[in-house]
Amino acid sequence: MMSGGFLRPNRIALIAILLCLGLLLGAVIPLHRTGKNGRSTPVEEGSWLFLPPAALRVASFGFHNVAADVVWLLAIQYIGSHISTDRKLSELFRMVDTVVTLDPHFVEAYTLGALFMNYSGGNVPGAIALLERGAKANPTRWEPPYNLARTYYLDLRDYPKALHWFEVTDRMPGRPHYVPRFIARLYAATGHRETALELWRAMRDSAASDWVREIAEREIAKLEAEMQRPSGGGSR
Amino acid sequence: MRISAIALNTFREAVRDRILYSILAFALLLIGASAILASLSIGQEGRIIKDLGLASSSLFGAFIAIFLGIGLVFKEIERRTIYAIIAKPIHRFQFLLGKYIGLVLTLLVTVGMMALLVVGLAWAIDGYWTPGLLAAAALDFIALMIVTAVALLFSTFTTPTLSAIFALGVFLIGRLSGDLKIFADQFAGLGLRIIVNGIYLVLPDLSRFQIGSRVVNALPLDSADVTWTVLYGLAYILMLLFLAIGIFQRRDFK
Repeated sequence: MMSGGFLRPNRIALIAILLCLGLLLGAVIPLHRTGKNGRSTPVEEGSWLFLPPAALRVASFGFHNVAADVVWLLAIQYIGSHISTDRKLSELFRMVDTVVTLDPHFVEAYTLGALFMNYSGGNVPGAIALLERGAKANPTRWEPPYNLARTYYLDLRDYPKALHWFEVTDRMPGRPHYVPRFIARLYAATGHRETALELWRAMRDSAASDWVREIAEREIAKLEAEMQRPSGGGSR
Repeated sequence: MRISAIALNTFREAVRDRILYSILAFALLLIGASAILASLSIGQEGRIIKDLGLASSSLFGAFIAIFLGIGLVFKEIERRTIYAIIAKPIHRFQFLLGKYIGLVLTLLVTVGMMALLVVGLAWAIDGYWTPGLLAAAALDFIALMIVTAVALLFSTFTTPTLSAIFALGVFLIGRLSGDLKIFADQFAGLGLRIIVNGIYLVLPDLSRFQIGSRVVNALPLDSADVTWTVLYGLAYILMLLFLAIGIFQRRDFK
C-alpha cells in the first residue's frame, strides 16, 4: 500500500539524507556551539600537561617522529599566541624538550626553540642548554654550533666561547659561506656592533619564517639606532 | 604454478574487498590532509608531510595486513571451499603460501600507492626528490610482510576476532620493542630485565624497520644495518610461515 505512495523506497533514502542534513545544520551544529564543557583548555592556564617525554615516547608506539611533529605544532601555536601579546613563554622549554626527546635529530626544533626562548622569552640559559644538547645529538650539523656562537656573541658577549663555536661550525659540511669572515673578525677584534649587525643581517636574509625575520629586523633597527647616536661607536 | 594460481586468486579476491578500499581511501585522505597540517609549521612542511605520510602508510598498511590476513584461511573454512581445495592434488603448504603471497601482492600495490603519494607531495613541497623515502617505505613493507605472516599464522587455528586482537598486539609490541628494551635495561630489576629481553628476542622487532626518522632528518643510512634488517625480516617471515604450515598441516577438517 505504501510502496505506491509518498514513501516509496527510493524516496525514503533521499528523505533520510535530507533529514540528516537538516538535523546537522539545524540542531547538531547550533547545539554544539552552546556547549561550554569539554572545550580544550588554553595552554597558558597551566593545566596543559604532557606526559613526561620518556613516557610519551612509549605511548607513541614507535611513531616518535609524528608525536614530535604534533608537539612541535602545539609549540608553534603556543609561541604564536604569546609572541604578539605578553611574550611569556614559560612552557616553551618543556615543549621543545619533549620534541627533541621524541626526535633528537629534529635540528630546527633546537634552533627555532632556542631563538624564541631567547628573544621572545628572555631565557638565554635555557636557549644555550637546548643548543648544546642539539650540538651533542647532531655532531655533523652546523646549525646548533652556529646558533651557539651567535648567542654567545650577541647576548652574552662571551667572545672566546663565540669564537670556539664559530670554529666548530666552520668544520661542518654545508655551513654558511660567511662563517670564516666572523672568525676573522673575532681574531681581529673588530667592533662588536658591526659584527652583530652582520650576524643579524645574515639571519634575516636566511630566515624561513616571518617571525624569525621580525626578530632579526627588530634587532637590526636597535643596533642601527645605537650606531647613529653621537657616542655610538664600534667599540668592543 | 599451483602456488601462483592461488596467489593470483587471493589477490583478485582481496582487491574486491571493500575493507581494502575503505582503509586505503582513509590513508590517502590522511596523507593528503597532512599538507594542510604542514602549513601550520614554521618552514617544516616537508618534514611533517614525510613523517605523517610514512606513519600513515605503516599504520594503514598494518590494518590492511591484519584485517585481510585474519580471514585468509577462516573464510575458506567458513564457506566450506577448503574441502574442495584440499581434495585437489595440492599440498596444504602450497595453499597457505599462495594465500600469503596473494596478500603480500595486495599490500605491495596499496603501500606502493601510499608511498608514491608521499614522495610526490614531498617533492611538490620541498622542490627536490628524496629517494630515501622509497627506501624507508620498502623497509616498512618488509615489516608489514611480517605482520601479514603473523595474521596468517593466527588465521590457521583461531577465529578472525581473536586473530585480529593477537596480530594487532604483536604489531604494537613489535613497534615498541626497541623502547621497551631500553627502559628495561635502564630501570628494571634483574628478573624483569630477563623477561623483557626474552620477549624482545622472540617477538618481531618492528622498530628496526623504521628508518623514516633518519631519512626525514637527512642522516646517512648504514647499509650494513639495512642489509641485516632485511635478512632478519626475511628469516622471521620464513619462521612464521613454517609454523603456520606446521599447524595447518595437522589441522583436521573432517
